[in-house]
Amino acid sequence: MAMRDLVTGGAACAVPGSSSSSNPVAALASALIGSSSKTTQERLKELPTSIPTSSDRQYYPEAPTLPGSEFDQEHYLQPSAQGSDFLHGFRAADRGQFADVWDEIHHGQPPHLQGRASQSHLPKFEHAFHQVNSQLQPTLDGITPDDHKLSPRFFVKDLTWLSNHLFVVVPSFLSLGIEVHYESTNPSPSVTGPPQRVLSNFLHSFLDSSRGGIPFHPAPLPGLGLSEVDKQCIRDRTSIMARHMFADKSDEFTNAQVDALLCSLDIDNSVQAKGHIPGRFSELEDYWNESQGSRQAGHLPANGWVTEFDQHRAQQGDPELWALSFERQHGVNGWASEFEREQSQMAQLGQTRGANISDFAAMEQTRMLAHTLAQNNDPKFQNSKFLQFVSKMSRGELIIDDNQVKPSTSGDWAAEYQHEYNGGLSWADEFGHTKASANLALRWEFNHSLSHGPDRWVNEFSAEHKQPNLVEDQWVDEFSKLHIQDWADEFGHQVGEGAFGNESTDNWASAYDEYLNEQMATKQQSGGSRGVYVFSEMNPYVGHPNPLKEGQELFRKGLLSEAVLALEAEVIKNPDNAEGWRLLGIAHAENDDDQQAIASMMKAQEVDPTNLEVLLALGVSHTNELEQAAALKYLYSWLLHHPKYGTLAPRELSESLHYADVARLFDQAAQMSPEDADVHIVLGVLYNLSREYDKAISSFQTALKLRPNDYSLWNKLGATQANSIQSADAILAYQQALDLKPNYVRAWANMGISYANQGMYEESVRYYVRALAMNPKADNAWQYLRISLSCASRNDMFEACDSRNLDVLQKEFPL
Amino acid sequence: MPVFKTPFNGYAVKFSPFYESRLAVATSQNFGILGNGRLHILNLNPSGPISEFGFFETSDGIYDLTWSEDNDNIVIAAIADGSVKIYDLSLPPTQNPIRSLHEHSREVHSADYNPVRRDSFLTSSWDDTVKLWTIDRPTSVRTFKEHTYCVYSAAWNPRHADVFASASGDCTLRIWDVREPASTMIIPAHEFEILSCDWNKYDESCIVSASVDKSIRVWDVRNFRIPVAVLNGHGYAVRKVKCSPHRQNMIVSCSYDMTVCMWDYMVEDSLVTRYDHHTEFAVGVDMSVLVEGLMASTGWDELVYVWQHGMDPRAP
Repeated sequence: MAMRDLVTGGAACAVPGSSSSSNPVAALASALIGSSSKTTQERLKELPTSIPTSSDRQYYPEAPTLPGSEFDQEHYLQPSAQGSDFLHGFRAADRGQFADVWDEIHHGQPPHLQGRASQSHLPKFEHAFHQVNSQLQPTLDGITPDDHKLSPRFFVKDLTWLSNHLFVVVPSFLSLGIEVHYESTNPSPSVTGPPQRVLSNFLHSFLDSSRGGIPFHPAPLPGLGLSEVDKQCIRDRTSIMARHMFADKSDEFTNAQVDALLCSLDIDNSVQAKGHIPGRFSELEDYWNESQGSRQAGHLPANGWVTEFDQHRAQQGDPELWALSFERQHGVNGWASEFEREQSQMAQLGQTRGANISDFAAMEQTRMLAHTLAQNNDPKFQNSKFLQFVSKMSRGELIIDDNQVKPSTSGDWAAEYQHEYNGGLSWADEFGHTKASANLALRWEFNHSLSHGPDRWVNEFSAEHKQPNLVEDQWVDEFSKLHIQDWADEFGHQVGEGAFGNESTDNWASAYDEYLNEQMATKQQSGGSRGVYVFSEMNPYVGHPNPLKEGQELFRKGLLSEAVLALEAEVIKNPDNAEGWRLLGIAHAENDDDQQAIASMMKAQEVDPTNLEVLLALGVSHTNELEQAAALKYLYSWLLHHPKYGTLAPRELSESLHYADVARLFDQAAQMSPEDADVHIVLGVLYNLSREYDKAISSFQTALKLRPNDYSLWNKLGATQANSIQSADAILAYQQALDLKPNYVRAWANMGISYANQGMYEESVRYYVRALAMNPKADNAWQYLRISLSCASRNDMFEACDSRNLDVLQKEFPL
Repeated sequence: MPVFKTPFNGYAVKFSPFYESRLAVATSQNFGILGNGRLHILNLNPSGPISEFGFFETSDGIYDLTWSEDNDNIVIAAIADGSVKIYDLSLPPTQNPIRSLHEHSREVHSADYNPVRRDSFLTSSWDDTVKLWTIDRPTSVRTFKEHTYCVYSAAWNPRHADVFASASGDCTLRIWDVREPASTMIIPAHEFEILSCDWNKYDESCIVSASVDKSIRVWDVRNFRIPVAVLNGHGYAVRKVKCSPHRQNMIVSCSYDMTVCMWDYMVEDSLVTRYDHHTEFAVGVDMSVLVEGLMASTGWDELVYVWQHGMDPRAP
């Protein structure tokens, strides 16, 4: 009543059905349940005003004491039964009579009622339903990118030779703190706390990205050991929150941000989105049934409806009023808008739905497993989620990134991380700063315009960003090789000692910090940072009469490290020699030293901005980073400066490059001269950019037919195959590359990655060792090696690995 | 003014309706995306720092809380795992929560205790429903399921015991009378998701909504074709809005733009004060019923600020 007073200002309202006293349904309900509002009031007065606080208080379930509670009994006790009842009743109803009524309504009504009135035309409803369905499908496909293909693997970015993913390997059990948390009333431990620091920092950078509206290029994470339930939480919650935070941006942007987050957390965004939709529809149907069915409680629904209509008509003699009352009950826009809204909501938000009760069951199961594990060494735990958790932790692999302010190597990232963690214990400090500089992008702009001039910061900024490196997730394979017993023992031991709480967490954390410190120190010594080329200290080729020629010769012989020295002597002598820089870049890349490779390539491009090979190389390098804009820029300028295809490229396009435009231009180029391998190579690179790996593979294969002896092309093919989860094929391609160039360090290392991706860790170790024997400076390979050793449970070799003792390793792992 | 540091990210803060020096804070680890939750009960000291009266831990984040209007020791927490937990401060943590209600199938995003009837409370959830509970019953009294997307907030009318409003991601504000079978009114209040709503404490037909569209809108439910006022000024989604318990025309809000704003919707230049003290998303704000002008806010910077309106929250 109060509500009606509110709405109408207390004036009498003749609309039937809108107040409890005149509402036949409410009256009926009151009659049935025997609770009129008066008795309710009385009962309420009898309720104690103070609630006893003992936990063993009495329940009062027998009678509803709150007004309106009776509706819930009707609505929700058997909603589906009622719904189908209604539908059944509807079909059974006197169709002729119904149709008559319908026609009357239909003719005398404003058009917007037609939509909601479609209840009388089931086919219409179904039609609308199908429309929803068919419209939704493509959207869903749209928001389920190929990311899931990437998620379970190392993302092999070494398409050719410039790549930058930085693995920092973290000692087992040092990196991550498990928080075992006991809910105060729940005696069973719930291992719901993820490795906090890593995750917090990570999520933080996600939030940060919302401020400046810059694309989120997350620091790839270590295997955090998130359970499916955790993942689902992250997926659902970030999706919903992102929509609040990124409201300014397009849906695509928001989706991309969330995808980037989920992808780097190794969460498959596609599965749930697809899986949940049927539920949505049934929900919708239920909802529809409920909202319809509930109004005809106690009647044969359809007939009741008709009767009710007749009553109203008799009372009012005016169909308009019926419409009005309908409107009151259903809302102004009623079903039509409800549907539209539903439709758009689903299109926008369809993938965000998820958690349900079964997930909690799953969580409970995990908890129980964890609990049992503490006491039991039974091998059947191999399949437990908890073991996976422990295993992921123990692998301790950390692939990291410098999504941060300083141009950084892994060490700098570590410094950043360290800073964030130590200095930023209270984020207040740090974020005062962040806020002051508005956002990362702006800071970048500032720093870089200082150091390099404003024209370059954009490139560099994008160059600094990295793509998530994705961590292999083949648990089954892995478990067959792991000494599960050990972990179980260790875990049981720790739990037994009660050492699994904060103290040990802290130990791990501090050990991890120490480790990061070390990393930082080493990196600072080596002084490598992107964009700045670091020359070797001792170079016998300085003073050589023709170091370029010497370098080319050494490169041809495959003596890459020697060639690097000679070429360095060359560029010291002639800093403007683009060819010297270019070859130096290639030598570094083939030697698996990406930092130096990129630095030399940037130099080469500085000296000669139109060098096609350099442009292609830079395009590829940015493709490796999945930096679409930068990659497109280089590939486009490759086309622009190409003597043959330059005419294809309209100059005005260079302002705003879109993937589709550039791809189209290269397609044209490929049609123009189908025998030009370079064009097919660029196409292959472009398809990598859009993650159309099948097309990329066929482009590279076409190029290989034209240029079968291009070992770097074989490597590109292999890397693409590896990225599209064809590691076995990739190995064949790498083998081709190695047959052509036995000293191709990168191919050896890639080979190792492919074996690791297939769970053949012993094999992968052999290849890494081989690569390292040829170039001990390949830091990435050392890191991969460490991961593989850990996965292969060869912790005994850690020492040799850490001290970079190749003699021991080569003896242990001959190829 | 005093500041309290929470270990997790703040989500909601509410003053006790019984004690002017007591407030409760809901927090969640990792921004509520994953991890545990903690409910802090804090005491304000007239001179000196905020002290912690006690805290309760949960296995998932806590998104909101509400104090009982009937018993000074009862706090109800909305938990991200879909449960609603009732805590009794007079009991030790081991005996808490005194009740854990598991009906929502998804994150519970708000809780509001009925200030008139004082025997029941509402929770709203990402499962698209609002549920009505009483403190003494193990199951919900009623479920309101009409919204087609997450319901971010549900708020009782301060005058009419049976009337409440709900704000949803389906871009509607719905007004309900629990004596009615369905919602009484659907207000398409914003073009974007609506994150919060609150009733004016002096005008029973005046309701305020806050949206992702960065605006706050003031509505008269008797004529909701056009808003009474549109308050622009936040730079990002407005996360929570609250009508002053002391001034009819005053509204406080907090936003993802990290600020807390005080508005006077009756005047043209509505933005009265902008408080820029948080260094992360400001997601919780409240005004004390017992002390005029006393405000509290919390945010993802893990800080709880309590200050007098007009003062600098960060002033020592």
